[in-house]
Amino acid sequence: MTTLRRHCLIALASAAWALAPFGAHAAATLDQPAPAFTVPGADGKPVSLSAYKGKTVVLEWTNHECPFVRKHYDRSGNIPKLQKEATASGVVWLQVISSSPGSQGHVTGAQAQKLNQQRGAAPSAVLIDADGKVGKAYGAQTTPHLYVINADGKLVYKGGIDSIPSSNVSDIAKADNYVKLALADVAAGRKVAQASTQPYGCSVKYSD
Amino acid sequence: MTLNVSLLLPALLLALAAPCVAHAQAEAKTEQVAVRLVSAAATVQPGQSLLVGVQQKIIPHWHTYWANPGDSGLPTTIAWTLPAGATASPIHWPTPSRYSLGPITNYGYADEVTLPSVVQVPADLRDGGRFGLKAKVDWLVCHDVCIPQNATLSLSLPVSTAATASADADLLQQAQARVPQRGDAARWQLDGGKLQLSLPQGAPAHDAAYFFARKWGLVAHAEPQQLQQARLSIAPGDNAPKGGDAVDGVLVLFKEGKPVQSLAIGHDPAPLTPVPVSTAPAGAATSADAPSLLLALGLALLGGLILNLMPCVFPVLTIKVLSLLQTAQGSRRVVRLHGLVYLAGVLASFAALAGVLIALKAGGGSVGWGFQFQSPVFVLLVALLMFAVGLSLSGVVTIGSSAAGLGQGLASQPGLRGSFFTGVLATVVATPCTAPFMGVAIGYAVTQPPAVTLAVFLALGLGLALPYLLLCEWPALQRRLPRPGAWMDRLKQALAFPMYASAAWLAWVLARQAGPEALAVALAGAIGLALAAWLYSNTRDLGARGRHASAVIAVLLVVGTVGFGTLGVTGTSTAPPATTAADSGWEPYTPERLATLRREGKPVFVNLTADWCITCLVNERVALSPSHVDEAFRQAGITRLKGDWTRGDERITRLLAEHGRSGVPLYLFYPAGPQVEPQVLPQLLTPDLVLTALKAPTSP
Repeated sequence: MTTLRRHCLIALASAAWALAPFGAHAAATLDQPAPAFTVPGADGKPVSLSAYKGKTVVLEWTNHECPFVRKHYDRSGNIPKLQKEATASGVVWLQVISSSPGSQGHVTGAQAQKLNQQRGAAPSAVLIDADGKVGKAYGAQTTPHLYVINADGKLVYKGGIDSIPSSNVSDIAKADNYVKLALADVAAGRKVAQASTQPYGCSVKYSD
Repeated sequence: MTLNVSLLLPALLLALAAPCVAHAQAEAKTEQVAVRLVSAAATVQPGQSLLVGVQQKIIPHWHTYWANPGDSGLPTTIAWTLPAGATASPIHWPTPSRYSLGPITNYGYADEVTLPSVVQVPADLRDGGRFGLKAKVDWLVCHDVCIPQNATLSLSLPVSTAATASADADLLQQAQARVPQRGDAARWQLDGGKLQLSLPQGAPAHDAAYFFARKWGLVAHAEPQQLQQARLSIAPGDNAPKGGDAVDGVLVLFKEGKPVQSLAIGHDPAPLTPVPVSTAPAGAATSADAPSLLLALGLALLGGLILNLMPCVFPVLTIKVLSLLQTAQGSRRVVRLHGLVYLAGVLASFAALAGVLIALKAGGGSVGWGFQFQSPVFVLLVALLMFAVGLSLSGVVTIGSSAAGLGQGLASQPGLRGSFFTGVLATVVATPCTAPFMGVAIGYAVTQPPAVTLAVFLALGLGLALPYLLLCEWPALQRRLPRPGAWMDRLKQALAFPMYASAAWLAWVLARQAGPEALAVALAGAIGLALAAWLYSNTRDLGARGRHASAVIAVLLVVGTVGFGTLGVTGTSTAPPATTAADSGWEPYTPERLATLRREGKPVFVNLTADWCITCLVNERVALSPSHVDEAFRQAGITRLKGDWTRGDERITRLLAEHGRSGVPLYLFYPAGPQVEPQVLPQLLTPDLVLTALKAPTSP
């Protein structure tokens, strides 16, 4: 993808969603206002980031067929558990599905809800980003890929779910859970210690 | 040549039992990837750096990942399970390719990749054993979707001091060629929000460049990299380098879309230092400094010539010349025939020796020149043979058409047979001697395919036979010889004494190898032989029945003494090795001691020797022991290490092999300083030569 195309895309995205300005290469920049969005939710109602002003928001890119996502869902319950803990303490947890139609992980809103029910997942909402606009605005590359936005609407964390890039469930216990650590830092009013980490997993299945 | 046949049989059995490589678990296959554990060598040499690899054959459109997989994906990992003491290097990653899909860029491999690692084999492996490698390989293979896969692969290789390339040697050679070459540390700066990487000087002509960062976050993988002049401008990633940070990765230069250079810049990790892959089956030399075949053949010929002057060979040859004198009147044709038959005897013996070596090697045995003298039984038999030849020279017995064919009428058929066996005898008695130039040739020969080994041995044999052959072929030379006369008998009798001396020396070797009991057995055997000879020659005047009876008794005596002697020595051959502590100023050689001294940068002189090696003993006496040489060693603070190969020693065989030798003597001088290559001294030493070597500048 050339820079020119990236700029065109940004221009288009800006026109459509009246997004806040962001950098040329790293779409979502730490300590800067997180890109705004309004996307259809799984229940059909639009979801806007601006609606959660004053709350800590987690964005989690996901693809239920990706082995790395399955590592943290079906095979361990790691992310569902984290979702419950976070939402119980007032954090808004948004699942984002950017798989394009026909590609791995693409689901309808109804399918997404059913999947979460089956997996014991409890996000605040599921975003069906089938055209990948939000994903590209944030620079989401992998599933899972996680972002944390603080109450001021600024991006304070971007990166992996934890510190051991692997598909082995047994590594979860040994790894540092970066999202958990970031949420704890935010809750305590501290600067997030590990604000940018390596995301790992399958690539996000964009249309191009 | 019954002596060598007795060695040949077990060797053949060994060869038949030679284990083959287990292929069963070395491969695995998923729908997308076929993986295989491969080794460059078919045999594992103790102490070697073994080049191994995991090959992935990937179906079209799918790929596996490099050390930094890029925006998504996972690098392939290999977890090794190796025998105690063995270690495997991390993967020496071949230069990756780029795969971009939308905003995501990945680094990895499509179609085929072999990921090489170097396994350090411990030095204390037992020859003839097996070396098992197990690799648990985890990889992620992706196209539209990603699938984590794994396989556990294993390989079991025979341990041998002889290097043998495997069928995968070429594959690993190519894999090594795909690993980036070592470049310098990256020269970079952050300028205008970009990471500006300076290209190394002296780069080949190129029109594009790409930098693969080793670590995630250093650069934005998906952003285009702009080449301007000798600078590559790259968008930094989320973990952009700060001043003082290392920028590690692989810089690839392209011309017209094709990579022309791939450099590993930065420090982490060290690129693969090429491990020489033996290509023995193809018949090529194993390393650049190994002698060429022609040179080896020339050195072998020269070595064979010099063997004629060795103390145990010289009497045999002299006697042969004497017998030629006696029959100088014989027709030229017959004389020439004798020369050729003698040559045939020598060549047949050398061919048999080469055969044993090849068979032992095929069986994974460790062999070298003079290896048969590591067997006390062989030493006993040769000692008795030398004694018997001595008896014959002394005139105690004149054995009909004797094995040595001494003084027989040349025209007769038995005389021809005698010439043949003189050739055999010359070879047998020559084996304890290593002539100068021989070591290099034979060291080369044993690492080569059978045909080359045989050729070098035959060249050695030709050298040994050449002086006598020339004498037979060249009447002019025969006329220069003194007239025959009574002096010949006296000379013959006199020449018995070098043979007795040789026998006595071998008896001493035997005592050192197998203890005093073996010496008693050898002496009893000698007396038995002498009694048999005396009986035989003193009953020749008796009637036919008496002659026959005494002949039977003599044969029984010979068979009895040799047979029981062999049994007796076999029984005692497990006696503890002779101590070398008595050698003042010398410490026993161990690889550990040498390694410790070298680490400390201390000068070391290594002397690899064996009691049955006359050249070694002469060198020690003449060039290493004199008081002024001893003084020079002491003043220079040189540690002297002595490796005794009399009974065979794996660790010594290995050190010999490292210097391309297969037999003793070998003299190495490591000057002071941590990383200096040893100087290899010639096989014939003089005090001056040693003193000059010790004074050599300490630079490598």
